[in-house]
Amino acid sequence: MEKEIRGIQLPLSQTQKVRLKKALELLQSLSLKVNVDASVVVADTITVDHEDGVLKGHGTADLNGEVVATICGVVERVNKLVYVRALRSRYKPEVGDIVIGRVVEVAQKRWRLEINYCQDAVLMLSSMNMPDGVQRRRTAVDELNMRCIFEENDVVCAEVRGFQHDGLHLQARSRKYGKLTRGQLLTVSPYLVKRQKQHFHHLEEFGIDLILGCNGFIWVGEHIEATDDMVEDQVNQSDPQVLLPGKNSVSLEEQEKSYTTLETRKYICRAANAIRVLSTLGFNITLEIIKGIIDLSLSMNLDIHDMLGSEFCVLVAEKEAERRSSNKKKR
Amino acid sequence: MADKGGATPATYSPSPTTGRKKPPLLKEDWIRPDGRGFHQCRPALLDMHRFLSDSKCSRIDGALLIGGSAKRHLGPVSTRITSGVHGSVQPDIDFFRTGAVNAASGSAYAEIGNTKVIVSVFGPRESKKAMIYSDIGRLNCNVSFTTFATPVRGQGSDHKEYSTMLHKALEGAIILETFPKTTVDVFALVLESSGSHTSRCLGFGKRSQLEIMLCEALLLIDSMFLCNVPLQEVIASDNISECVSGDLPVVISCASLALADAGIMMYDLVASVSVSCFSKNLVIDPILEEENCQDGSLMITCMPSRYEITQLTVTGEWSTPKINEGMQLCLDACAKLAKIMRSCLKEAASDSQE
Repeated sequence: MEKEIRGIQLPLSQTQKVRLKKALELLQSLSLKVNVDASVVVADTITVDHEDGVLKGHGTADLNGEVVATICGVVERVNKLVYVRALRSRYKPEVGDIVIGRVVEVAQKRWRLEINYCQDAVLMLSSMNMPDGVQRRRTAVDELNMRCIFEENDVVCAEVRGFQHDGLHLQARSRKYGKLTRGQLLTVSPYLVKRQKQHFHHLEEFGIDLILGCNGFIWVGEHIEATDDMVEDQVNQSDPQVLLPGKNSVSLEEQEKSYTTLETRKYICRAANAIRVLSTLGFNITLEIIKGIIDLSLSMNLDIHDMLGSEFCVLVAEKEAERRSSNKKKR
Repeated sequence: MADKGGATPATYSPSPTTGRKKPPLLKEDWIRPDGRGFHQCRPALLDMHRFLSDSKCSRIDGALLIGGSAKRHLGPVSTRITSGVHGSVQPDIDFFRTGAVNAASGSAYAEIGNTKVIVSVFGPRESKKAMIYSDIGRLNCNVSFTTFATPVRGQGSDHKEYSTMLHKALEGAIILETFPKTTVDVFALVLESSGSHTSRCLGFGKRSQLEIMLCEALLLIDSMFLCNVPLQEVIASDNISECVSGDLPVVISCASLALADAGIMMYDLVASVSVSCFSKNLVIDPILEEENCQDGSLMITCMPSRYEITQLTVTGEWSTPKINEGMQLCLDACAKLAKIMRSCLKEAASDSQE
């Protein structure tokens, strides 16, 4: 009987299937014991002790005095609160989350970004730092020049500011936020990226930047120093009034300087493939794991495109199982 | 809607029922093409390798229902199994699986008999149509057929009426308040269809009689809850000129699986079964040949755990006891189908726990 794991669509040979199955079973046994009884399907009754008052949380409904699930998931109980946690939930934004989005529309005084959420997020012009760095009131001219900052289909990194009446608002008031260039954007399931202290990572030995967006968008790109942009722009711009979008007045020398070396591009691809493998296997995405996979592939002298093959996938699963079991033994 | 017998102009009288194969059905010992009993659905399996035998429907004693409100409890569901010993003919296999489409928020693939349907659900997400503020969400359904779905290769069509019927079936079950200002899109694609044809409603002149019978049937439903379906709509569905085929029940059940997979909040899973009536016999889950010579058809979409019906579609000629019996058969079958869908979801959930 073949149990197909959702999303793994690789052609695996028989031995590979066996190895993968073993590794995944080992991982399952290592993970916290989830009660099989706890998983519910829509309209399953949740056993609840009616003696204590029970608080019906998210994902539950009341039917004739009984608590019934409205989504498929796992029942969680916290004191008197009973709720159902979905296994593969959509991204739920919280204030302060780092997200990466793609500009869908340039509207009046705002940009609309698609961030893998129910609605499009809004980045107000006033929540963005001006290119010249000066803090001032945004004028009509600024509004006309919005396209010079971000255009449609640009990838932007920002932070969640909060929920306003017209949707989710973002802000990009720091140097590290803003338009992302020279790299790749990857999409994974949002629940694979857990909230951590640091989402911006700089891998020095490879010279690449890694931004793990909480919404499942991950950016891998060449490392860009966020310092000189402001100064250079001031020097270059002679006429700050109306700028022509797209013509960034980059001279030939600057273009040569900004050429990404082949080595860096290879590392970017390696990191991107590592993340793709993790996403296929359904493992949590953290910096250590990514680094481990890149090192593994380098130590094996694997070609970058081979990283997406079935053999490497099985190896990654086995290595992860090993790592977790050794972690557990240490404790 | 009033079309009294006397006022119908001559042009509306139905064409004589030529081309309908009557004779085989009047015989009592007629065997269904695939060897099933009259009250046997195409069985449902979780995967291709196992065969569950509890999908056979039990024959409900008509006496339970006539005269008085129907009993809520249908009795032990799995014990009363009819003679349904299969011959050497392998019955059609059912197959349900979620997670068929990776790009969608949720998806499901269902194969019941020859009908193969794949449903993908996107959302909740923004849509240009939903820019007006509303405190409930919108549901947008679309049913389309591939060009190779029908035995005769034709133009893959976008069935608007199936889309509307799917919408009506699902909207009673989804909790729309949980995703205000956004839209959930349900796209159903029928890869292979086991039957879809047009047949005219019999006897326009007999309409008033049919209305009476429908009202009686609805009184029966009175003891259950008909949720979100105003009475006019139930009767109006008799108007449709296309018969409910073997496809739509599969599409509805598959769509509710896909919605559960996508994590959209619902009151309950929606299961749907259709029944055909041939003068004296009731045949559940008809296939194309049976549908071609049926006298009437009844499709029920219900939420088994809540014992509520979201959609009821009746066409053709029915007598009151027959419709009662048909309804009970359908409800029983829906309960069993829902159990199978539930176990499919449970398996998928336990697989993805990591």
